[in-house]
Amino acid sequence: MVGVPERASDALLTCIARFGLSKTTLDDVAREAACSRATLYRYFDRKGALVTHAVDMELARMTALAVAAAGREASLADAVVALVTVSARELVAHAALQFLLAHEPESVLGQLAFGPGDRLLVRVGDAYAPAFHRWMSHDDARRAGDWLARVLRSYVLMPKPSIDLTDTGAARSFLEELVVPGLESAGRSERERAGYPGS
Amino acid sequence: MTEPANESRERVLAGTYECITRAGIGKTTVEGAARASGVSRATIYRLFPGGRDELLRETVAWEMARFFAHLGAVLGPTADFRTFLERALPLAREQVLGHEVLQRVLEHEPERLMPLITVEQHHVIGYLAAYFRPLLAADRDAGRLRDGVDLDVAAEYVARMALSLIASPGRHDLEDPAEVSRLVHHELLGGLLP
Repeated sequence: MVGVPERASDALLTCIARFGLSKTTLDDVAREAACSRATLYRYFDRKGALVTHAVDMELARMTALAVAAAGREASLADAVVALVTVSARELVAHAALQFLLAHEPESVLGQLAFGPGDRLLVRVGDAYAPAFHRWMSHDDARRAGDWLARVLRSYVLMPKPSIDLTDTGAARSFLEELVVPGLESAGRSERERAGYPGS
Repeated sequence: MTEPANESRERVLAGTYECITRAGIGKTTVEGAARASGVSRATIYRLFPGGRDELLRETVAWEMARFFAHLGAVLGPTADFRTFLERALPLAREQVLGHEVLQRVLEHEPERLMPLITVEQHHVIGYLAAYFRPLLAADRDAGRLRDGVDLDVAAEYVARMALSLIASPGRHDLEDPAEVSRLVHHELLGGLLP
């Protein structure tokens, strides 16, 4: 049986995709989640608390999917392409996120840039890093995670992207040409500095 | 006497920016912008048919372009694109942090600024990419780029990532020259160098 916090998070996303964040109340969420107001308020006394919980859940869910997709690949380049395309598709297909970007952009964009953007990049970078431990040190893997989070923010969430990262072919040629060499060279020069044999 | 449209436009944008400096984005009105720039409301609506929304968007774009034009002037010529980026990134970050109007608006009315800055940033990306492209072309001609680089895609990539870094550096410390050099040689240009 799914717990109240999970059901409430899903119900909130359904409500947002239907009529936005500002018009959604905790009462709407309770109705959508088919639980009583009293039960919902025991977990979330304010809408803000539920929004924070839902963002945490969605970030964890989407980054885990992307890392799992990368885990099925045999080379670093393929892992990067898998992680980026899966993330891009999750973001583009996210009904609640896309509703907010289209109709209440101020609710999302304030969390994406400047100071709050810093914190988000670090969180997503940390979540992505394990996808690259097979090929580089933990520090370099975190760097790679940070950088791919940054690439996704610019090319998927900002207006007028010139490259469609949901498309495997377009993503592959862009990533292999411009992005992966920068991640690989970071790892390589680290090994060279440390005097690893055979590098 | 009528002045050319681009001069009136420049005056209105400067006047609107002055209003934002004084009162913030929320309290900036078409009337206030007209007073500050010494033109009539009708002139503003003729130049910016979208009214207040368009005026605010265009003012943000105008100040962003001015910011980078100033940066370019301060930097002057550099030996190659790597050196340019190594000098530009810390300086741009320092100027973002020292930009009083930006920092005040970010503190007091981020919800008003963010949609404007995000919508307008594709102009800035285009502007930066156009600035970077000849620098990349010069590097290519001097044999400092690997063969077969698509200069348009590369210029846009570096423009997007540089803008991203100076607005939110994340874990990267842009005051540390060794870190900036690593970013430039690996993440930013790793795919472009021979």
